[in-house]
Amino acid sequence: MSTVLSASGFPEEQVRHRARAGAAGVFPALESYGSSMLGAVPVGQDPYDLLERARIVPPVFMPERLKKLIDLAREPLYTDVELDTVLGGFTSRLPLYVSAFGSTQVASHDLGEAAGRQAGRLGIPMVVGENVVPVNGYRAAADSAASPLLGRIAAYTAAADDEHGGVVVQQSTEDADAEVWNLVYSDPVSEPLLATGRLAFELKVGQGAKPGLGGLTVLGREAGDRVAEQYAMDEVFGADSDSVLRISSPGTFTEEILRQQIRLMRNNFPRVKVWVKLHPGRDIALAAATAWAAGADSVTVDGAEGGTAWAPSAFLGQVGLPLGECLTRIGRTGHCLLASGRIWEGTRAVKALALGARAVGLGRAALLAVDEDAEAGLVRLVESIALELRLLISSVGKYHVNALEADDVLLPADAATGSRTG
Amino acid sequence: MTSTIAESHGRVAPSFPASPDQHLIAEPTRATLRVQSRMLAATRAFLTAQGFQELLPPVIGPVTDPGIRGSKQVDVDFYGHKYKLMTSAILYKQASLPAFDKIFYIAPNVRLEPLETAVTHRHLAEFHQIDVEIRDARREDAMELAERLVAHVVDEVVREMPGDLELLGRDRDAFREVVQGAFDRTTHKEATADLVALGHPQDPGAEIDWEGEEILSAKTSRPFFVVDYPKGSRGFYDQEDTDRPGVLRNFDLIAPEGYGELASGSEREHDYAALVTRMRETGENPAKYGWYLDLARRGIPASSGFGIGLERFTRYVTGRTAAWEASAYPKLPGVTSA
Repeated sequence: MSTVLSASGFPEEQVRHRARAGAAGVFPALESYGSSMLGAVPVGQDPYDLLERARIVPPVFMPERLKKLIDLAREPLYTDVELDTVLGGFTSRLPLYVSAFGSTQVASHDLGEAAGRQAGRLGIPMVVGENVVPVNGYRAAADSAASPLLGRIAAYTAAADDEHGGVVVQQSTEDADAEVWNLVYSDPVSEPLLATGRLAFELKVGQGAKPGLGGLTVLGREAGDRVAEQYAMDEVFGADSDSVLRISSPGTFTEEILRQQIRLMRNNFPRVKVWVKLHPGRDIALAAATAWAAGADSVTVDGAEGGTAWAPSAFLGQVGLPLGECLTRIGRTGHCLLASGRIWEGTRAVKALALGARAVGLGRAALLAVDEDAEAGLVRLVESIALELRLLISSVGKYHVNALEADDVLLPADAATGSRTG
Repeated sequence: MTSTIAESHGRVAPSFPASPDQHLIAEPTRATLRVQSRMLAATRAFLTAQGFQELLPPVIGPVTDPGIRGSKQVDVDFYGHKYKLMTSAILYKQASLPAFDKIFYIAPNVRLEPLETAVTHRHLAEFHQIDVEIRDARREDAMELAERLVAHVVDEVVREMPGDLELLGRDRDAFREVVQGAFDRTTHKEATADLVALGHPQDPGAEIDWEGEEILSAKTSRPFFVVDYPKGSRGFYDQEDTDRPGVLRNFDLIAPEGYGELASGSEREHDYAALVTRMRETGENPAKYGWYLDLARRGIPASSGFGIGLERFTRYVTGRTAAWEASAYPKLPGVTSA
């Protein structure tokens, strides 16, 4: 190793790191895999994060508060704010849902089920991530305790009432090989949800942390060999490493392909709701409009701040539209739009809701909460967010979450406003 | 439980047999299976006389027909590789055409249909198809052949098996118009409008659901074709009409008297690039279809074809209430049996 040269003002250490690590240097440190979650630049330091920089701006005059006053015959309080809503065809107690976590190690079996149980108790929807079946396998209903997918569905159903929330099962390109939706649709485990209209399938077009790329997961060499028929592998960590990178295809989409896939979902699975998850592409407004026009019950936009278990460092910092930019490009519509990306407390949630989202997703926040306390961590986190939502929504003189509007938020002066197309 | 038209007309819903012998030795079952055997013989004689080659169908393969609404495929561990039981042999029919211009199979298919189809009286998890494919044929050629085949088979049963039809209480007059052929044609769009007018909610972008098919079927005394299903309701191999984007050059043949769908068919997509694109539009991963796409790159002939559900056809001819009564060893979705 030569250490004679130096290059001040140049990212010398990073170059030296790549010179040592090769392709593995494109990724975060391998040792962190499975115990840390990744995301875009730290909170408060992202100049592109509109939601971070926006402010919630209460007015002085509040005609909606007068309506509530008349309704109640007393001055309304923040405790009078109603948060129940309909999202993606489900009735939810709160404008929140648990975002997908998939097959990767941090979202292991136990955390997935713990999240399912608590989301069920809370009466909010839960998304089960892609790749769970091709990687972890699918077992018959009798073995649901041993199956990550069925286990999460069963845990959710057991904890939930018959009216609120619902379970959303993702399928990606590789999942289609494993026929995840067909398996779930006719499994007796799903029947209570189907009978109460609380099952949805989510077509995953992409994700916020790595727009335009498919899923990337680090697998042990043995596990990699097991799924080699379904997935491509890349030896980025070296041929002598115990780890290999499992590569999913993001799948090819055009307007027509998206439209027809949604129509086929409606055709083949008439008893489920149809959700679509989009990565924060520059044509996000067109993509969302295409999905709704084809009959999607809900479109989720996962902003570039969205978390992940594994992504190339380049994508985390510099690829994809931030969530706030996605929301302003799409604008407020009459359709159900869901938003995720670094949501963990009430202000960011209220800003996203005011800019047009019907509900916001908890991803990393939900995982951390169940990791903190598998029995009640998520419930407590959500209680704290619900309180903040009530406080903030009442401060702008509104008493139902769906009454929020774009005027309730002040965007930074340099932000694009109005809807733009990609 | 949903009631079918057969039930609303006072036909008793049969109870599923507790054992195979209880079902098989019942006189109506024996009569039904005798008629079915005659239908198969008539089918083979008719198609062979038209110059068709009978091939034995594949039972397993790396991929099978994905264009099946909501039903599950059955995996087979083939020496460490995931194979499928055939849901239909459509891909193999196309693959056979370089060798034989006109082919047919009597093909067993397995489809683990959604649980709710157990009560339709039409869905079986294991069934057989009279599977026909004609090289360089247009959709209309396939429809004409299907019409002549059905008329021929019905005519032969009516003429040759009056005793069994009588034993089953099937009125031979029901077939007076059928044997003449000349089945009506309607479009998916018209059928959808009819159903909506009758108060049945039918999505114009989707397959006609089984209840809708039964409603339309109950209004007629002759089989009829529904053509031009919308893209998004069928598999990637049904060709899109080049002059009418979004419309498929396909058809269903619907039996009268509430018996519902007998057959599906289409002009086939065979162009490599179009097949790959349509696979994506139907949510499929093209990588899974390696052997088929290799073949398509080298050139699959143009063709049209259809598959007639044998147990459904038998049910219609014999007037049985449920399709499982036309199977010796019936398998109903979600019901364990012999």
